[in-house]
Formats: sequence, C-alpha cells, structure tokens
Amino acid sequence: MALLELDGLTRRFGGIVAVDGVTMRVATGEVRAVIGPNGAGKSTLFNLITGVIKPTTGTVRFADEVLTGLSAYSVCQRGISRTFQITALFPQMTARENVRLSAQARHARRWQPWGGDAVFAGAEARADVALERLGLIHVAQRPAGLLSHGDQRLLEVAMALAQQPRLLLLDEPTQGLSVEETEQAVETLSALLADGSMTVLLVEHDMEVVFRLAHGITVLHRGAVIADGTPEEVRANEGVQRAYLGGLA
Amino acid sequence: MTIKGTSLLLLPVCLLAIAPAGLPPYAMTLLTEALILGLFAMSLDLMVGYTRLLSFGHAAAYGLGAYAVGNLLLHTAIPLVFAIPLAALFSGIVAIGVAWVCTLASGVSFSMLTLAFAQLLYAVAFKWIAVTGASDGLAGIPRSPGPFGITFFQSRSGFYYLVLACLLAAFLFCRSLVQSPFGAVLRGIRENEAKTLSLGYNTRRYKIAVVAISFTLGGLAGALYAPFAGFTNTELLFWLFSGQVLIMVIVGGAGTLIGPIIGAAFFMLVSNLLSSWTDSWALFFGAIFILFVLFAPQGIWGLATRWRSLSSTG
Repeated sequence: MALLELDGLTRRFGGIVAVDGVTMRVATGEVRAVIGPNGAGKSTLFNLITGVIKPTTGTVRFADEVLTGLSAYSVCQRGISRTFQITALFPQMTARENVRLSAQARHARRWQPWGGDAVFAGAEARADVALERLGLIHVAQRPAGLLSHGDQRLLEVAMALAQQPRLLLLDEPTQGLSVEETEQAVETLSALLADGSMTVLLVEHDMEVVFRLAHGITVLHRGAVIADGTPEEVRANEGVQRAYLGGLA
Repeated sequence: MTIKGTSLLLLPVCLLAIAPAGLPPYAMTLLTEALILGLFAMSLDLMVGYTRLLSFGHAAAYGLGAYAVGNLLLHTAIPLVFAIPLAALFSGIVAIGVAWVCTLASGVSFSMLTLAFAQLLYAVAFKWIAVTGASDGLAGIPRSPGPFGITFFQSRSGFYYLVLACLLAAFLFCRSLVQSPFGAVLRGIRENEAKTLSLGYNTRRYKIAVVAISFTLGGLAGALYAPFAGFTNTELLFWLFSGQVLIMVIVGGAGTLIGPIIGAAFFMLVSNLLSSWTDSWALFFGAIFILFVLFAPQGIWGLATRWRSLSSTG
C-alpha cells in the first residue's frame, strides 16, 4: 500500500518549471531515493511534500489524506519528519536539548506555559533512545553548534527519528561529509533502516550511498521523472546514464 | 539550580522590602519608578531575549496600560487594585491583534511594524481628546481606595509595596514560563525559527502568545505608573521610550529576566546622576550603551554571572 502518493506535482517559479508533473509512490516500509543532477528539483520536491512551498498544480496524498495546502507544521504533525540539506539545528542548545525539543512536538501538552517536568521527562526519554540509535549519546551534553559536521548531520536525523514519524524524509544526509564521515554515516543509517520498520524518502547525490540504502529509486531530470525502478534497473537505464550517471556506471 | 536561584533572590527581596524604613521620600519615589521600569523592561525581555522578536514599539504596551488605568480611575469607582490588572489585561488583548498583524512579517520588517503600530497609537493619543486628553494628557489620576475600604495602597510606601509585589509576581511568572515546555519552544524560535516550524510547532501562534503576555506585563507596568505619577502623557507612547526600554534590556542583559530589571535601575540611576550636571546626559548614556554592545553584549547580569563563575572555579 502506498503511504505517500504524488500526482502530477508541479511547481513553477516564474518561467522556470522546478518540478514538472511528478507522479510517484512510496510504499509503507520502503526506502526510496530520489536522485538527479544539481537543479533537478529534488529539494523543491521535498519542500512541496512538507508544505514549505505550495504546488502550482498536482496533489500530495499521505495515508489517504490530501496534504496539499497544509502548512509545514501541520504536515509534520501528520507524521512526516524531515532533515534539511543545509544543516538546521539549534546551535546553542545541547544535542540532547535539540532532540528533546523535537520529541516535545509530539506531546499533547507541548505548549504548556508552566512546569512541564512530565512533558520534558517523556521527551527526554525518547530523545535518548534516538541519540543512542545514531551513536550520539556520548556527545549529548555538548552544544549542537560545536559538534563535528558529521555528528551534526546525524543529530538532525536523530531529531527526526525522535518524532517517531510514519514517513522520514532525508535531504542529502551525507552532504558535505568527508569520505570517512560518509562511510560512518552510511553505516549508521543502514543499521537504522535494516529492520524495514521505517518508510523513508531520501534525496541523495552520492550514488554509492543510494545503492546501499535504497530499495527503489526515482530519477529526476529538469524537474521531471525520467526513470523509476529498483537500483539495478536504474543503473541499467540508458536515459539515466546519459542524463546523470555519465561515466560513473 | 532553581533552589539556588530562589535563595539568591531572597536577599534583594528582603532589602527591597525594608527599604521604606530607611530611605528618604525622594529616594523612595525613584526606587518605585525604577521597579516599575524594571517590570517594563523584563516584559520586553520575553520578546527580545527569549524569542528574538525585536520590538521597537514596546512603549505601546506601557501607554495602553497607563491610559486604560487612567480612564478607569478617573471615570469609574473601580478600586486601584482592580483597575491595574484590568488595564494590564486590556493591553494584552489589544496586543493579540497587533501581534497577528506584526507576525505576518519577521526580522527587521517585524520590528518596523511594531514601531509603526506604536507611532499610530501615539498619533491617536494626540487627537482623541475625550480619552487621552491629547497633548495635556490625563491629570489628577487618583489611587481609588477599596475594596472593603482598604486604603493601604494610597500612601507612598503602600504603593511601593504594591509595585514590589507586582514585580515579584511577574518575575516568578516569567521564570516559570521560560523554563516550561512553552519556553523551550520560544528558545527554538530564537535559535532557528524555520527548523522549529518544521518540527511541527505553529511558530506564529507561539509568537502571538508571547507578544500578548509581554504586552500584558508591559501594560501592568504602565498601569502602575499612571497612578504612581498621577498623570499620563503622550510621551509614554513615543518611540524614544521604546528605544530606552530596549537599551535597558540590552545593557542589563537580554534573556536573563533579572538583567533587564537591573538595566532599568541602572538607567534610572545614571540618567539621574548625569542629568544633575549636564543637559546632554543622553549623549553619555548613548556612549555607555555603545560600549556595552561592543564589549559586553551579554550585559551587566551576564558580566556578573560570568565573574561569579570565574571566581568560584578559582
């Protein structure tokens, strides 16, 4: 069953069509990657799904509910959590406080203007589980702004994870990482996704990362879908090779 | 930390409580005004220090409270102790509408909208003679007694205790607020609003709420000032006053609650000392402000806590 369904999703900026009639499905329990060269519209696609920007035409359906037109916070409250291509954290808070604030958003009394020990305790318990799973528990007390870039990328994943989302959107989780850091991050992520309990939509640049993590791949080129299939099928697709993989395959 | 913070609070509160016994009347008048300004500056700190909502129009909160309480005390028989919270509430309710408009923008545009709104109120106050007395202001605002014939708050020291109680209650309220889940979301907005929004928080609603709370407490300060001074005038709504309270917050230490109270007292003290030997005292205070921004952006309270932690670690 498809958890996320995009139908004819289009977004124009003036004369430029950033996302052009994208139709795709993400099934429950699937890890799907969206790949494509720079400017292919991958991040715009994420922003359309999460309500940061509104589509010109087309619809986003999530668990049989139309999300199109909802604001970013309501989309998140429906169970879609995301990370950003450019690391977005609360730099002066500790790593634990970052994840705790993220988990707090799922609490019924997240806005309570007094006390709140129970809210904080519940959120912190979830936060520590997420930090543990991403191997960040040893830096939990450190301000997020002082973590290494690799740890910062993973901290963002921990924040999304602590919300126990039904759909996790990862925007280039290895962006800006060194070869060793990428290796480390992919190791952590594949361990995280191994049990198949999570549905993930992943935007990624690095082909190695994609082939190791994803069950299915959708290829975007100039905003439109040019291929869709298993990693093997996409690797073999001639159009994809011309548009994107070039000499790599 | 909370227990330590509370015990640290005890000494200044005790000193302030016995102040009327030892200080001459003129000093008591200054101290009362300093506490009112301290409450006003602390209310702005919720926006500036905790949410990074830079308001250039916080005088609007003060003026709304002052004019509201002035009208209540002049035209009705409502006792002082009821008129003051009613006026504060009025300021907070107006703020909901204001914040709804101002939070359509963010950053500098937000600041400009707050300034524009305050200046709009200033212009209205100049024209609406029936309610504001225009350029004359409202004079002869009484401290109406009651209920049950209580006249304690009429006297100089009685009114001082009323101000002290309001400041203390507001401080405890604000401290609890900034340490609550709500306060954690405000810190999130301060550090990265887009991220806070993407985590599922309706950040605009939080911002409107904090502006309303800030205006209620700022209105409380204004509502205390009018019966303290016995009059209101349009200067209470003027942009200069908005700028001064912002300076009190920054010089005292934004995001600390205590700092802005100290900043307000510091402002009162220095402006009184300087103005006794020069007319251009504002120039010197401006220089002090610039020095703080350049060399001690964490303010007086930030310096004090850093010095304390340095001396305690050796």
